[in-house]
Amino acid sequence: MSRRWRARLRRTGILMGLVLFVVWTLAPIVWALISSFLPLRALTATPPDLAPGNFTLDNYLGVLSADRDLIGGLRNSAIVASFTAALALLIGSSAAYALARLRVPGSSKILMLILVTQMFPAMVIIIPLFIVLSRTGLTDSQVGLMIVYLSFVLPIVIWVLKGFFEAVPRELERAAAVDGASTMQTFRLVVLPISLPPLFATGVFAFIEAWNEFFFAVILTQSNAKTAPVVVAEFSGQYVSLYGQMVAAAVIASIPVIVLAIVFRRYILEGFVEGAVKG
Amino acid sequence: MTFDGGAAARPTGRSYLARRRRTGTLLVLPALAVLALILALPIAASLALSLMKADTADFRFGVFVGLENYATLLADPVFALALRNSIYWMVVEVAVVVVVALWFALLLNHPMGRWSVFRIVLLVPWALAPVANAVLWKWIYNSNYGILNFLGTATGVLPGPVVWLGDPALALNALLVAEIWKEIPFITLLLLAGLQNVPRILYRAGRLDGAGPWQTFRFITLPQLRTTILICIVLQSIWALKSFDLVYVLTRGGPANATTMLNFLAYRVSFQFGNLGLGAAVADILFFVMFLLALAYVRVFRPARAAERGAA
Repeated sequence: MSRRWRARLRRTGILMGLVLFVVWTLAPIVWALISSFLPLRALTATPPDLAPGNFTLDNYLGVLSADRDLIGGLRNSAIVASFTAALALLIGSSAAYALARLRVPGSSKILMLILVTQMFPAMVIIIPLFIVLSRTGLTDSQVGLMIVYLSFVLPIVIWVLKGFFEAVPRELERAAAVDGASTMQTFRLVVLPISLPPLFATGVFAFIEAWNEFFFAVILTQSNAKTAPVVVAEFSGQYVSLYGQMVAAAVIASIPVIVLAIVFRRYILEGFVEGAVKG
Repeated sequence: MTFDGGAAARPTGRSYLARRRRTGTLLVLPALAVLALILALPIAASLALSLMKADTADFRFGVFVGLENYATLLADPVFALALRNSIYWMVVEVAVVVVVALWFALLLNHPMGRWSVFRIVLLVPWALAPVANAVLWKWIYNSNYGILNFLGTATGVLPGPVVWLGDPALALNALLVAEIWKEIPFITLLLLAGLQNVPRILYRAGRLDGAGPWQTFRFITLPQLRTTILICIVLQSIWALKSFDLVYVLTRGGPANATTMLNFLAYRVSFQFGNLGLGAAVADILFFVMFLLALAYVRVFRPARAAERGAA
């Protein structure tokens, strides 16, 4: 009897813990979503007026209107993040394959070095890069951002792809070699085609990282190349009392990456999370 | 043992390996060149810059002044405050994030917590843009209409509305809560991956020996998770020192520098005061601390990988 009670008590405890976990993790996001659909007078009422009739799209329409820069910011973010991801894949995939499979001299040292670069403070590289970019006229440009973004996206891409390439069956490479393919051909015609899903997923991961980046963007852009996070931050500083619109802007800027993360969760969990623990 | 080493496995003998190595070097070079250009070179330049007097007026490397910038910093009370804030921020963030994440990971590793939706729940705060997170908490902390003051006063926990971000005694902790909330999910995912690598047979053996839940955790789970926890501690320390977006959006380092940390100080000195040399000195001190942490990470990482190779 007492044992059954203890088991029941434990189950209840775990259930309560899980409820607490979900509430703690989602409550701020749920509140942000609700706020983004409420007009100012409902948000500033005490208590907040949550009557169903109050819900409206006005905050979203307002913040997406032409004079708010958000559309431009989203476009810049999309362009910079996609090109950065594509460039990183182009340069990073061959390096990752070589480091995973081709027994390049010193490859384990190179990999450690690449891992360590992810830990450098962005501040330490931005001042010299800022000087160079402003003297070449590349500040406030999408190209300038892409170059700087490669500094943190490329190491991640190499590290994650290395893990995937290690899982490619060696028999495939040997069969290609027997058929007379050069190492380069084996990589291009055999390894790359079967690695398309992980390549794409790594690209998505790189895209998310580049999309969310703020530090470089706020320093390097003034008007033309402002990314979505910069616009969202500026908006919240400029229109301090438009609470609903401020939150709606944050929601809009987050939706693309949250959707991508959920859709590609399997790869993110396997490739990045386990890679960080297992190497 | 890998296949390339076995003599019978080589399709075309020694030249196969040599060819692969040569092509491999060619394939690695572009990436290394890019990283040298946008990482190694700027780091070297930043170290040099910290020894110079340089400002944003003309965007160029300036006059050599030796260690003057570092001397200026050591005499500056704001630098001392930023250093203290950074250390406090890092220690509290790492401790709270790792402990709570470990608790969440244990819950999610329990048969009742294996529902895949819980993993999706974890991914949402992780993928959320840090700036969006900052805006979200700016609204929660709003002193007039924020939900925190409303719930606090309605339940009687707070005697009246609190100016969370305007009070030097509260602002840094308010920012910490927002940061910790965002950082917990990823560490939970890392610990969960670690928990799933604990061999099942150990738990079965523990049960046969009559171990209770606490003993199982203390003598099986915790020792097995040691490396993963160490990796989490080092990674989170590094990420804590990088925090910038929250400070920028919520407080800009105020009130009275209560939320100024090294990273933000380096930004402010360089790009708002225009003193690139002094800013580089702050950045380089931060770089030095993070470099030591990165070395710690590599040291923790190495034995883990060696053990895995030995087991394979």
